[in-house]
Amino acid sequence: MPPPDEPDETLYARTRRGDMRAFDTLYARYEGRLFAFLVSLLGHRADAEDAFHETFMRTLSSREVVFDRASFRTWLYRIGRNVALNQLRSRRQQSAAQDEPAASTLAAPVPAPPPDQALEQRETAAALQEALARLPPHLCEVFHLRSSGLSYEEMAEVLEIPTGTLKSRMNLMVTRLKHEMMRR
Amino acid sequence: MTTMERPVTCTGVADELLAYHLDLVEDDARQAIDEHLLGCQECLRAFLQLKHQARGASELRPGSAARQRLRDEVARTFRPPALARVRAWLARPVPLYQSLAVASAAVLLAVATPGVLRRAASQPPPVAGPRVDTARVTPAAASLY
Repeated sequence: MPPPDEPDETLYARTRRGDMRAFDTLYARYEGRLFAFLVSLLGHRADAEDAFHETFMRTLSSREVVFDRASFRTWLYRIGRNVALNQLRSRRQQSAAQDEPAASTLAAPVPAPPPDQALEQRETAAALQEALARLPPHLCEVFHLRSSGLSYEEMAEVLEIPTGTLKSRMNLMVTRLKHEMMRR
Repeated sequence: MTTMERPVTCTGVADELLAYHLDLVEDDARQAIDEHLLGCQECLRAFLQLKHQARGASELRPGSAARQRLRDEVARTFRPPALARVRAWLARPVPLYQSLAVASAAVLLAVATPGVLRRAASQPPPVAGPRVDTARVTPAAASLY
C-alpha cells in the first residue's frame, strides 16, 4: 500500500498510470467528506452517488487539472460542486418541462446514520444534521467545506468568491447554525 | 475569525464552541477556550458531543456497489498498455529473501558446473568386453557343423 502521508497529487499521478492501490488510498481519503458535501448540495443519496462518481472520473480524466494553480483537494471539490449544480439545473429543467412545481430538494433531510449505532448517538448526530438541513445551501456547503479541512483560500477557490465574502459567509453560517441548533 | 472577549465563563464558551470546532476563532480566544475545556468537564462534554455530531454529519459514505462501479471504471479507463504492464512487472521490487535465494542458487551452479564437467571429461570411455554371440543357431546353420 502507498504510505499514508503520500501527497494527493502523487496518488493522482499514480492513479492515472493505472495504479489501483493509489486510487484506493485517494478514495478512502475523500469518500466520507466529499460525499457528505455532495449530499448537502443534492439532498438525495442516490443523486450524490452519481455525482460522486462523475466528480472522481472528471477530476482524474480532466486535462485542465493543474496543481500549480490549486491543490488536488481544491480541484476535487470545485469539480464536485459544478457537477452537483449541473444536476440541480437539469433537475429543475425537467420539473419545469413536466409543468410541476420544482421540489425543494436542497432542504431534503440527510440520510440517517448506519443502524448499528446506538440510538442515543443517532439522536445527537441528527441534531446537527437537522440544523444543517434547515440552513440555506450556500451556508450549508460552507460548513461541509470547512469540515473537510479546506483553508479559507481553498474554499474561496472552490466557491469562486472573494475571501472577504467567504469570511462573512462563515460568520453567518456559525450564527445561523447555532440558532437552528438551539431551536431544536 | 470570530472575535470574542476571553470566554472564561461556561456561557461564553458554549456560545463559541461551534466556531471553535470549525477553527474560526482568533488565537487568543482559542487559547482561552483550550484552558477552559481543560478545567470544565461540562463544557468538555458539550464540545465532544458537538464534535461527534459534526463527524456524523460529515462522514456519510457512498454504498459499496457505487464504490465498485467507480473502481471498475477507473481501472478500465487508466489501464496501462500491455507493454507498459510487462515493463512494470519486470521492474517490480523483489523481496530481499527471494533475491538472495536466486543469487545463492546461481553461485552454487557456477561453482559446481566446471567440476562436474571436468569429472565427466576425465572418466575413461567404457571398455568393450568380449563379444558374445547370442544368435540362435538355426537348423540350417547347425547342419554346417
